[in-house]
Amino acid sequence: MNYFSIILPSLLRGTVISISLFALTLILSLPLGIPIALGENSRIPLIRWICKAYVYIFRGTPLMLQLFFFYFFFPIYLNIRWEAFPTAVFTFVLNYAAYFAEIYRGGIKSIEVGQYEAAKSLGLSKVQTFKDIVLPQMTRIVLPPVSNEVITLVKDTALASVIALADLMKVAQGIVNRDGTLYAYLIAAGIYLIFTFIATLILNNMEKRYSRYEEVM
Amino acid sequence: MANKILEMKNIYKTFENCEALNDVSLYVEKGETVAIIGASGSGKSTLLRSVNGLVRITKGEIVLDGEVIASSNEDTEFKGIKGGAIKQKNGSTEAKYLPDNLFKEAICETGMVFQHFNLFPHMTCLENITYAPIKVKKIPKEKAIERGLSLLEMVGLKNKREEYPAKLSGGQKQRIAIARALAMEPDIMLFDEPTSALDPEITGEVLSVMKKLADRDTTMIVVTHEMGFAKEVADRVIYMDSGRIIEEGSPEEIFYNPKTDRLKAFLSAMIKTN
Repeated sequence: MNYFSIILPSLLRGTVISISLFALTLILSLPLGIPIALGENSRIPLIRWICKAYVYIFRGTPLMLQLFFFYFFFPIYLNIRWEAFPTAVFTFVLNYAAYFAEIYRGGIKSIEVGQYEAAKSLGLSKVQTFKDIVLPQMTRIVLPPVSNEVITLVKDTALASVIALADLMKVAQGIVNRDGTLYAYLIAAGIYLIFTFIATLILNNMEKRYSRYEEVM
Repeated sequence: MANKILEMKNIYKTFENCEALNDVSLYVEKGETVAIIGASGSGKSTLLRSVNGLVRITKGEIVLDGEVIASSNEDTEFKGIKGGAIKQKNGSTEAKYLPDNLFKEAICETGMVFQHFNLFPHMTCLENITYAPIKVKKIPKEKAIERGLSLLEMVGLKNKREEYPAKLSGGQKQRIAIARALAMEPDIMLFDEPTSALDPEITGEVLSVMKKLADRDTTMIVVTHEMGFAKEVADRVIYMDSGRIIEEGSPEEIFYNPKTDRLKAFLSAMIKTN
């Protein structure tokens, strides 16, 4: 019991870092995915090509490689010294925006042509059509796959420990190495589980709220 | 000379080697109900959808409320634009149209009702009706709601104001869709096979709303397979086949005195299937 109270504070400090990384990644990458998804459907070939290449690269390479790459890229090539935390946020945002863009693209595609025709016949502008007609319907459709990614992100934050970010994973690892017992891993596992549990609850709630207009079978 | 709400002159529409509309001319006067009948693929929906730009015409001229909105005629000048044909990327040509913002404004004078309703599923019935008046016409919200409620009453669905479309039957959805189009106070209503997606026993409730509109001298074009409706409600009936208007006249002329063999064959086929 005494041992727990000794290691718990540093584990919790790591948890705060993990949660911050998680939250910032979501806040920035969820909206960033929208312009990329629209860009993939753009009528201008160059924009389409850039967006597709972006998504292909970030989904096609390991997140860990991307973390290492940017960790060294900024100081070596741009002469910018970034701490591990901003580097991790930067990389995670770029990576997750690519995944979200792909999900959004599917969601936009699933909106029926008739919805656009109705919007057009009522004189709505393109912005109004997207914001008020497409986006709310798309949100309901993409919520389940987005939820999946969000849960994955909880666990992916542990990857940031490879660039020496003092997140929950890194702290637990340090304690285990120092003390030679696995308790820190067990506690960390428990914290991750609570974390995913809360995230699942919130997401389920959102799914319920957004499906209120769905067909009742 | 009665007031022409819509005039379509020598309209052509080519879809990749297929002539969907071939020199079609049509006018609609204020208060008139025009029914367009014909087999599937005869071009009647294409004609209707070219009125509000859902289909962009290849050649011809469209005059809505006395204002040219599209023209391939180089002698026509509208809003400082010279008519003409524009080459499209895919090799086809398109008549010149009003710039987007002006075109949108112009087609606010049309209201369209679709075969598959196309209601916005994430909005309640009342929101479906009030959205465009508030956001596009900038009508104050209270006024839009007040008008929306009276339209709901007119189509007999006032009790459904807070329901989402998914909870409604097909006939109810279509009546909401009619109310939604009417809420923009258009000068002309366009009906694109409004009862074709409905079960036969509930087409009546939609048709009776449409009849009510016709009785109130709403200007409307109705593309339909409902011969009974065309016979009873229309002031003028147009029969189309393979992208052309074959016959045009009063319901009596069209249904009891068809002149062409094609129309005779079409009518006898319709009687058999009904």
